[in-house]
This record gives sequence, C-alpha cells and structure tokens, in this order.
Amino acid sequence: MTQLIWNGIFVGAFYALVALGYSMVYGIIKLLNFAHGDIYMVGAFAGFAMIGLLGSVSAAATLPVLLVVLVAAMLLSGAGGLLLERVAYRPLRGSPRLSVLITAVGASFALEYGMRLVAGPNPRVYGLRLEGSSVELLGARVSMQQVALVVVAVALMIALQYLVMRTRTGRAMRAIAEDSTASLLMGINVNAVISRTFFIGSALAGAAGVMAGAYYGKIDFLMGFVIGLKAFTAAVIGGIGNIKGAMLGGLTLGLLESLGTGWLGGQWRDVFAFGFLIVFLVVRPTGILGERVTERV
Amino acid sequence: MRRRRLARLPLVAAASAALLLTACGNGLLSEDKAGDSSSGPILLGMLAPMSGSSAAIGPYMKNGAQLAVTEINAKGGVAGRKLELRVEDDACDAKTATAGANKLVTQGVKVSVGGYCSGATLPTLPIFAKADVPMLIPAANSNELVNQHLPNVFLLNGTGTQQADAALAYLTKIQSARVAVMDDNTSYSKDIADLTAERLKQAGGPELAGRDSVTPGESDYSANVTAVLKTKPDTIYWTGYFQEGGLIIRQLRQAGYQGKILVADGSVDAKLIEIAGAKSAQGVLATMTPTPETIESAKGWIQSYKATFNSDPGPYSTQSYDAVRVAAEAIRAAGSTDGKAVDKALEALKDFPTFAGPLTFTKDHTLSRGGFLILKVSDGHFVLEDSLQ
Repeated sequence: MTQLIWNGIFVGAFYALVALGYSMVYGIIKLLNFAHGDIYMVGAFAGFAMIGLLGSVSAAATLPVLLVVLVAAMLLSGAGGLLLERVAYRPLRGSPRLSVLITAVGASFALEYGMRLVAGPNPRVYGLRLEGSSVELLGARVSMQQVALVVVAVALMIALQYLVMRTRTGRAMRAIAEDSTASLLMGINVNAVISRTFFIGSALAGAAGVMAGAYYGKIDFLMGFVIGLKAFTAAVIGGIGNIKGAMLGGLTLGLLESLGTGWLGGQWRDVFAFGFLIVFLVVRPTGILGERVTERV
Repeated sequence: MRRRRLARLPLVAAASAALLLTACGNGLLSEDKAGDSSSGPILLGMLAPMSGSSAAIGPYMKNGAQLAVTEINAKGGVAGRKLELRVEDDACDAKTATAGANKLVTQGVKVSVGGYCSGATLPTLPIFAKADVPMLIPAANSNELVNQHLPNVFLLNGTGTQQADAALAYLTKIQSARVAVMDDNTSYSKDIADLTAERLKQAGGPELAGRDSVTPGESDYSANVTAVLKTKPDTIYWTGYFQEGGLIIRQLRQAGYQGKILVADGSVDAKLIEIAGAKSAQGVLATMTPTPETIESAKGWIQSYKATFNSDPGPYSTQSYDAVRVAAEAIRAAGSTDGKAVDKALEALKDFPTFAGPLTFTKDHTLSRGGFLILKVSDGHFVLEDSLQ
C-alpha cells in the first residue's frame, strides 16, 4: 500500500510539472496548449543532445552534470515555447477559441513529426542514467534518484510560486489573467508577459522531460502525447488556470492511477484515469480548487 | 456567384470520378499486359516497419529479402524473369499497413514476402486475398493470421502456440514454480500471453502466479510492476515489444525483483538491453526463432550479408531471405505467377531447405515445427542458452 502511494507521488510529480504549463497558459489567455506535451518531448531531446555534446564527462559527477544539462534543456525548451507562441498562437490572438485550439493540435503534430525528421523514428537511450541505492521506508522501496527528482520538482514548483506571487512579472501575469485589455491600458506590455508565461511553462515541461529521460532512460518522438493528455487531465482535476490546483491535480492523478492499477490491474490504468476526468467534468467542472478561479495565472 | 459554383460541383465530381476510373482501368489493363507478356521483372512486395515503434526491424527484413533477390537474379532469375523487391512502410500500424498493401497490389506485386507486427499484418490479409496475392509472412506470428484459413496465407515463423509451447517447455525444464505473465495489449503479445497462461493453469508443472497487461507508449510502469510482484513470481514472462520491455525489466530490477525474466521474440533487439541498462538486462532469457547468430549453417551467409550491407544481420533477416527463396521456388514450380497456382505450389512444397530446417507447410499453412530457441543476455548480447531439442 505504501509502495502504491509512493509510486503515485513520484509519477504525480512529473504530471504536476507538465500540468503547470498547461494551467498557466490557460489561466492567462484561455488557450488549451495541446502542444505542451510535445514541449516536454523537445526538452527531453534537448537534454539528450546536451549529454551528447558533453560526451566524455566522468560518471562520478553524474548529478552535477545532470543539473547543468537540466538548466540548459530548460532554456532550450523555454525558447521552443516562445517560438511556438510567436509562430502559432500570437497571429491568431483575438480569433475564435476554436481556431486556436485547432492550431494547437496542428502545432503538436508539427513538433512530433518534425522531431522524427531530425532525430529519427527509433527510440534513443540517455547516455547518462541516474543510478542509486534504495531504502525501505514504511514498507515502501524508495530509491535515492526518485527522491532527488521529487526534490528538484518541488524546488521548481516553489520557485514558480515565488515568481508568480512576489515579482513584477508575476503581478503582471495575474493582472492579465483578470483583464488583459485593462492591463494594456495600465501600461503592461501584454505580449511580452504572455511570451514570458510560455517560456516559464515550457521550461518546466522541458525539465520534466530531462528528468524522465535520465530516470527511465528511453525517449522517443511520441513520448509527449500520453503525458500531455495526462497533464491536461491533472490540470482539469486540480482546477485549470490555478497553479496550486495543477500541483494538487498532478499528485491526485498519480495516486488515482497507482491505486487504481493496484486494485483493478494494469490494463485499467488509463480507463481509470480518464474516467475520472469525465467524472470531474460532470460533477465538478471547476476542479478541486475551482472556487479560486478568479486568481488564476 | 456562389450558387453557380455550387451547381458546377456535381459536374466536377463526375468528371474527376470518370478520370479516376479511366486511370484505374488503364492501370489494370497495362498490368495485365505485363503479366501476360512474361517479360519484365516479377514484383515481390514487402510490408515492414521502417518507421514507428519497431523501425529497427524493417531494414533487417528488407536487406535479407534483397540479398535473396540479388542472388536469384545473378543465377538468371525465375523462369527467365528477374525478381524485383518493392518495400512499403507499415510503421507497425494497421492504417499505414492497409494503405501500403493497397499500393503494392496496384503496383502489381505477385507475392508478398513481408509482415512483422501481427496487428498491422492482419488487416492486410483481405487486401492480398482479394487480389489473389500469396503471402509468405516471415515474422508476424499471431494465430489470428492463420485462423481464418485463407488459401493465400503462409507463415514462415513459428506461431504464438508454438512459442507458448516453447516457453512452457523451458519453464518446466528449469523447474520454475510460479510464473507471472505480462503483455502489452497488442494482438501479437496478448496471443502468446493468453496461450501461455492457459497452459500454466493446467495441472502439473509451473503454476500461473499473476497476469497483467500494460498500456504501450508510457514511461512509468511501476504500478504494474508492484501489482505483479505482489503475486510473488519466481519467473516473469513478458510477451510484448522491446521498448516497453526494456523499461519494465529496469523497473522490475529497481523494485528489487531477483527472479528470472523471460521475454518473447518481439523483445529480442539490442535496444532492449540499452533501454534496460546492461546491469538490469544481464541474464534475461528470451524465446526466439533462430537468428543468424544462432544458426550454425549461416556463417557464410552472414559474411555475404555484411559484405553487401556493411552491417550485421539482425532478427528476421534470415526469415525474410527464406521467404523470397520460397516464393521463387513456388513460382518456378507453378510455372506461372498466377496467385492460385502459386498457392497450390506452396502447399505442395516438400522439405525445401531453409535456415529453420526443411520446410513443408502443414494443412494450416504453418511450419511443421516452430524451431524456437532460448536466448540469454550475456555481457550486452543475446547468446544461445538452450536449443530445446
């Protein structure tokens, strides 16, 4: 049982990191960025390329090297998010929401199959793998690399929370979420702030991609698809547009999946996860933290 | 304005339909002529995964088949005509495979020598059957392929039943007590897993500890791993493909599982070891049809393959090579490229020498013996562990 809960928390941390980007973009411009999962894939591949460049670093320094790679890949995937917003979404700002949604789906395919052209269809294996011993904790087997990844994920989430609540950019984001026209009139550069939002959300997804690559080892050009859907589900469960909601939603979804698999068997995992999405949409469409919807970012 | 444009629409549609029809008619007509004139090359079609999840296998199959085509052509071809191989990508996906099969049929292929993923090969059966194109399937091995008893479908690989039998024989031999079976919900994988589980449930021999299916395409299978380990197996049989297989092997070892891991032929690929990591993959066993490295008589063949393609032959290259040779032999025996005549010639084939031994098809159009072996991962390579003879 504790093992199931730990598994759920660990997977949930990944979902939460990706769900944050979904939620921020939705909160600020009401766009469901369906290409967000593929930014996660771009991050994983950027990390893969970085490791290839660094090549012959000693295996003893795995963790510091990984942190460097992580930061570099976050910058790259953040830049990817910026570009995506500039090319695919900004020209359509003000057009009906359905057109933007369709563009997002198109952008998703463009990223997936673009990466296939660049990196090939075969799965790639990370040259740098997190290895570590594991300990028994309350009957669950917890490995050191899992703890390290959860710590990195939590640190990123705290940094984001600080950024949104305590900085000028964060205040501008919250203002645009309230009313973008009024913010424009008050002298906020709306386009720049939206770009920054995309950068931050994409960088978080890229971080999750690198962490998945280093932990699981295998990356491929379609890896963003399933996690994109799961992160979307997590964002809805937590209350889309709400940062704390995205974190909570990620953890909830991870736990639901883990416990559901333990209870019903592995083939029911996705049925269970997406079934819950439907239940939430019917019973509580605003998600767990939905009542705070006015403070979305 | 708008109205007039709309009124023209049916006209345009009719015109383009007529164009299409005449184009098709021309195509069929010219193809018939080519068939009658008995000159020009005999086309062999192959559907293989050149992209997608199993993209690593496609080139092996293509090269194996091409090697046979080149050799046969060098000896003067079949009945005075050269062979020509046409390869289409099936991406291990039903929709892509159907499109590819239609394309091959319109190009006028006489025999199909492809088929790797069972799930992608199944929907192409009616397309080739309708066009009377005999199929020599070198790799796909779901029982579903032959259960429909189509006259044009022949398997050159052991079936799921034969693979499950081999797995059970080996598990009994090593006196495994509790076996958990995991599949990835694909047609090929479920077939072998169900058949193995059925055999394990019968009294005597190893016992079925647990049964789990995973959804392919994800990264984290820890929930499945926890569920399977709860059943306390001493051997776990994974019947899916190598991508998920590698992840599951690694996650099983990380969860502290010490017992044996057996995988099916879809997981026999160097990438499996890479994904799992050399340490986790060490000692993993596999049920597999003969690969070039495990065939004694293939030494010279491996050399000519290396010389031609500048790479090592991989899984299913020998089977694809044999598929072309069997096809050539059947066309020679039938004395024509007519599908029905070739089917008859294939059924009448007796003890034709192949890498898997002398070949005579059973009345179900399968191999009389599957020839499955047990391989074992040792220092990052699959090596022969037990030939199950």
